[in-house]
Amino acid sequence: MEFLHTLINGLSLGGIYALVALGYTMVYGIAKMLNFAHGDIIMVSGYVILVFLSMTGNPLLAIFASIVFCILLGVVIEKVAYKPLRGASPLAVLITAIGVSYLLQSLAQMIFGADPKMIVIYDFGSVSIGAFSIEVKTLLTLFASLVVMISLTLFIKFSRTGRAMLAVSEDRGAAQLMGVSVNRIITITFAIGSALAALAGTFYLLKAPNMNPTFGSLPGIKAFTAAVIGGIGSVPGAMFGGLLLGIIECLCNAVPVLSPYTDAIEFLILILILLVKPTGILGKKRREKV
Amino acid sequence: MTRATSTAAKRQIKWKYIANYLVIGVLTLLFGGLSLAGQLGQSTVYLLEKMSISVILAVSLCLVVGFMGELSLGHAGFMCVGAYLGGKVAALLSDLLGSGNNVLALLASLLVGGLCAAVCGFLIGLPALRLRGDYLAIVTLAFGEIVRVIFQNTSLESFGGTLGMKTPRFNRNYLFLFGFLLVLATLAVIQNFLRSKHGRAVTAIRDNEIAARATGINVTKYKLIGFVLSAFFAGIAGVLYSYSNYQVESSKFGYNYSIEILVMVVLGGMGSINGSIIAAVLITYLNTRLATVLTGNLAVLQNLVYALVLVGIVIYNNAPALKSFRERVNLKALLSKLKKPVQDPAVIREDAAAWDRIPTKIDMDDLLTVELQQKKAAPADADSDGEANSDAASDETADRKKDET
Amino acid sequence: MRKILIVEDDRALASEQRRLLQDAGYDADVLNTGFSDPERAARTIAEAMPDLVLLDIGLAGGSGTLKIGASGPLTGGASVYGLAVQNAAQMAVDEINEAGGLNGMQFEFSMLDDKNDASTIATNYASLFEDGMQVSLGTVTSKPGLEFKNLSKEDNVFFLTPSASADAIPEFDNGYQLCFADGNQGAAAAKYVNDNLAGNTIGVLYKSDDVYSTGILNQFKDTLDDSVQLIEASFMGETVASFDSQINLLKGCKFIFMPIYYTPASQFMVQAKNVIAPDAVYYGCDGLDGIETGVEGFDIYTIPQEISFLSHFNSKATEGPAADFIQKYVDKYGAETLNQFGAAAYDCIYALYGAMKQAIDNGKEITADTSASDLCDILKEIFNGGYSFTGVTGEYANGAQTSMSWNANGYVNKAAVKYIVKEAGATAPAK
Repeated sequence: MEFLHTLINGLSLGGIYALVALGYTMVYGIAKMLNFAHGDIIMVSGYVILVFLSMTGNPLLAIFASIVFCILLGVVIEKVAYKPLRGASPLAVLITAIGVSYLLQSLAQMIFGADPKMIVIYDFGSVSIGAFSIEVKTLLTLFASLVVMISLTLFIKFSRTGRAMLAVSEDRGAAQLMGVSVNRIITITFAIGSALAALAGTFYLLKAPNMNPTFGSLPGIKAFTAAVIGGIGSVPGAMFGGLLLGIIECLCNAVPVLSPYTDAIEFLILILILLVKPTGILGKKRREKV
Repeated sequence: MTRATSTAAKRQIKWKYIANYLVIGVLTLLFGGLSLAGQLGQSTVYLLEKMSISVILAVSLCLVVGFMGELSLGHAGFMCVGAYLGGKVAALLSDLLGSGNNVLALLASLLVGGLCAAVCGFLIGLPALRLRGDYLAIVTLAFGEIVRVIFQNTSLESFGGTLGMKTPRFNRNYLFLFGFLLVLATLAVIQNFLRSKHGRAVTAIRDNEIAARATGINVTKYKLIGFVLSAFFAGIAGVLYSYSNYQVESSKFGYNYSIEILVMVVLGGMGSINGSIIAAVLITYLNTRLATVLTGNLAVLQNLVYALVLVGIVIYNNAPALKSFRERVNLKALLSKLKKPVQDPAVIREDAAAWDRIPTKIDMDDLLTVELQQKKAAPADADSDGEANSDAASDETADRKKDET
Repeated sequence: MRKILIVEDDRALASEQRRLLQDAGYDADVLNTGFSDPERAARTIAEAMPDLVLLDIGLAGGSGTLKIGASGPLTGGASVYGLAVQNAAQMAVDEINEAGGLNGMQFEFSMLDDKNDASTIATNYASLFEDGMQVSLGTVTSKPGLEFKNLSKEDNVFFLTPSASADAIPEFDNGYQLCFADGNQGAAAAKYVNDNLAGNTIGVLYKSDDVYSTGILNQFKDTLDDSVQLIEASFMGETVASFDSQINLLKGCKFIFMPIYYTPASQFMVQAKNVIAPDAVYYGCDGLDGIETGVEGFDIYTIPQEISFLSHFNSKATEGPAADFIQKYVDKYGAETLNQFGAAAYDCIYALYGAMKQAIDNGKEITADTSASDLCDILKEIFNGGYSFTGVTGEYANGAQTSMSWNANGYVNKAAVKYIVKEAGATAPAK
């Protein structure tokens, strides 16, 4: 019973990680860059929800606004900071992404201050089946993230744009010759990634309602770890990695002796997996072309 | 190439090569003299200690980021290993000798701290550097966090846990002199490494790994040598840190500190040792001095400005679209226009022997563009869409250039 | 020849005035600039019988100023504590100065930002010391304090910290705490449990990477009776992803000890409110102080459980010195940064003032020129000699505030208050 409880909690936390990890992995697959500012989109979504919730009091409207705002922000960041560097060394792009992440954090600190702000979007309460009681938001998070993941998979598999995305990630040059507009695909990728991050931010806020300017760093780094464990660039890999990491985290936290080492254990698993299978669990080996 | 130009170039190189030693040496003597004469205030002395630590960190990270073209996000982690293990040795020796002010004990703990960090660098680098791509960034990030968590959960007697570990503080009037000497030692080792065969191999790998591999360079080996060297000096900086504080506490060495060091290297121009030194000194000064001046929102503004400058500089230095602009508006270009209107390509190649003339990626791109422009009146600036082609083209030219040299 | 006496604390100005007056043919004299008490000045004037006294009206610092330095987080996540200390200490200094200072000597308080980072302390301390700091409030938080205590020991600078509570802070003879040490808090909490909950199972939630939290926990566990069953749950980091696992561990407990700060505590309480029994008790230490106002958007009345903590300051006091302090502080700086850190800083300044006054009464000389080291020796003697001080912290009982004193280790002895923020099931008071 206890184990089942931990498992469900882990899956629901993992669902959040998976949503964020999808953003990392899709951007990596298509734009070939590690977008370190991705985690901070979660933070931005939290503050947008805060603003809209205090303005309108309507949670759904606030969530919708945060998704729209984050999509715009993601696209603007891509256009302003990353697009000029297309073709430059990956290192330069990586450092720019870190700079953008810092920029977002210090902007948030300027506007909202460093003090924590609690946002309770909605109190769902809990349900019990016999002796087994669980929070509704945990189930909701799990359910919603699974729905999003399935629909994203379907979108990539069957829609025109989705297949174009696959083509670009496979071979950008060839895709371009086939008439795919690479710039448009990259913009769409950033938009989808940011929307997922905003959604993840909403669920994360349900779990951890204390907002501060570094709110996104931890889930960002964890989700990034999840994406690498699953195989960066691989969509199913990100989902699998996210869920796995969520379960590991909750299992570790449930054992008092292991609990202080939770972060270290997660990162150690990352290193071990890279040691055994450098491309991640579901990642494909990529041949380097000369 | 005539003999005359070659020797002239060589003489020039020598000057460039020792210039930074001279400057730091003179500063060491100057501040040493002031300190002996009792003219240096405590806060200045502490600032100088901090600066020397930052410079060692920045120069050693510059080796990885600037010259190897790999990203390390766990430099503070290596520093942490050095600070704790070197600091532990220092504490044990000072218990044994009755005082922390023993130069031999300092050297011993520097050695232990540096070596421990180097071993960690080896263990981390071995799996990560076999792979291409951004794996080193990921693994070092993980390493930094793991180290922090491990030291936080140690017992009170061993490494102090969350309370931190007590370390002996070296005589505060003289520690910064050791810091300066260590800066000189770091420069000597890293600059000589870069000028050696190994260093050339490392930069060759950065510029084109496949080409380097094809010429028979053992890519993993050379990357690993560079990375271990960098970790060693991060460890040294850690030991220096433990000597300059009474307390070493692992939460200091988190991700944010690693980023701060990275910012120094990037602001320094990413491929320039002297740039890193200047940026490290400047940022340390600003961080320390502004902290006493700026409060509230102004202090946040400082972070905002750092972030903006970071993004701005990277985009300016690397954006393909700004290449022609960079060529026109650039200190080096302006200077060379003043001195000698046309630079003999032979001199450039000869110059490459100097450590700071090892062309960075940016330089190399510039050279290639010039060449392309000369050859076929330069294709319109490569938009992202044409990137694959232009990349391939530049790879080709890079290879050809290697053959020529 | 007419005799003119110049009373001026600015040495350069005084000698210039004397030169001009002498040039003009007067017998001008300067009352020694080093004069330290108004009585002596009056005596000198009476003895000299001048025709005219040129008295500087800006003699607010007529006896000079005594400089008090401190370091604390004024920016970043812990800034609420640093700002509280800065505000309250400044308020106390202003009050003392308005009331005439210490025998005419004014106090000056300056505080530098350390961002709760120990590595900034060396330069901060040196700047303060070079600026003439004679006595100090040490640091606001523990981590930088561990560095500060060593540096101040080198120069023999006395410090009385309002809130750096690690056990190791008053390690040397120059350091004193006005707050309870972490270990003492842990021991006090454990005694409370031993007395009231023997034989029960209780839970503890601690932050494994925080010196404050682990410091309290260790002493708590050492003091706890064997008859009490303890379930431990821990977390780490500044943002906590989810307390699901910890809540799951602690859900059977009716008493949960929380030696943590209020930010994660509020998050835990919100997340656990439906799972933990509604009649359970959350019992914390002084870190929980400010929970009702510290987190914007957190409403304690949505939490069914009792929230209480052990503290030395009652931030809801309606009578006694604490209530006066709260009134003054809120009028001046607003309620946002009102917490026990500020109250403790306010007490620190007055405790130092009282100790110096007592020393002067005992015949010691304390002037603006007294070196930090001499002042430290004087203060050590007072604090070790059974000095007792009554301030705004401590317990208010039977119409009187209890006093506090210090033991030779630098720890404070004073009454702790079990402060109930909110009773179980309490609803928001009508506005």
